[in-house]
Amino acid sequence: MIDVTLISTGLTLIAIGVFCDFVAAIGLIRLPNFFTRLHAATVGAIGGAVVPMLGVTLLALGYEPLGGTRFILAGIAFTTSILTMILSQAGSHAIARATYRAKAAPLQPIVYDALGEEKGDANE
Amino acid sequence: MSNAKLWCLTLIPSEIISLILTVLLALYFTSFILYIVRLLKGPTLPDRVLALDSLGYDLATFMLVLSIYLNSPMMAVCALSLALWIYAVDIYIAKYLEAKEMGG
Repeated sequence: MIDVTLISTGLTLIAIGVFCDFVAAIGLIRLPNFFTRLHAATVGAIGGAVVPMLGVTLLALGYEPLGGTRFILAGIAFTTSILTMILSQAGSHAIARATYRAKAAPLQPIVYDALGEEKGDANE
Repeated sequence: MSNAKLWCLTLIPSEIISLILTVLLALYFTSFILYIVRLLKGPTLPDRVLALDSLGYDLATFMLVLSIYLNSPMMAVCALSLALWIYAVDIYIAKYLEAKEMGG
């Protein structure tokens, strides 16, 4: 019974990850700006990579025909999911900060720029 | 009790799991094509880096699912190092954009 629960939960998590991947890919194609595409890319990193890696962990733990290698697979998948959960946020923040400071991407469809007010760019 | 156990064993046979994984891998592939479109036509450098970022993390997930599908743990080790490499690319590009140099 525990095998069926693990396998069905794992497959459901992988399917949720595929859906989030589609949402992120369509958002990266359709959104107008770098700073709005950042939101779609973060959906792709957390919903599209961390959640299916946890699903792979559960699926590998419950999938009997893999034999002894399923514990290796589960351990590597869990480690990669935790690392991705930490590193994708750090990388996205670094890219966004560098892009804003270097003015490498246009800000143009913008509503409000609080950082520009703090630096005093508004009275330029 | 034994009847329930027999029902559980016949509920998810290995062929159905392989079929579901095949469909999910094909859907991952179509999502990769959409990422590659943004990677090739992105107007600025940070857009390309962002597309490469999402593509790399999803490629790591693809490798993990494929290692279950093919029953080989070699590909999973590659997924772990690929996630670390994507973070290194992010930090390098951020440093290049801010300081205009690539040195350490």
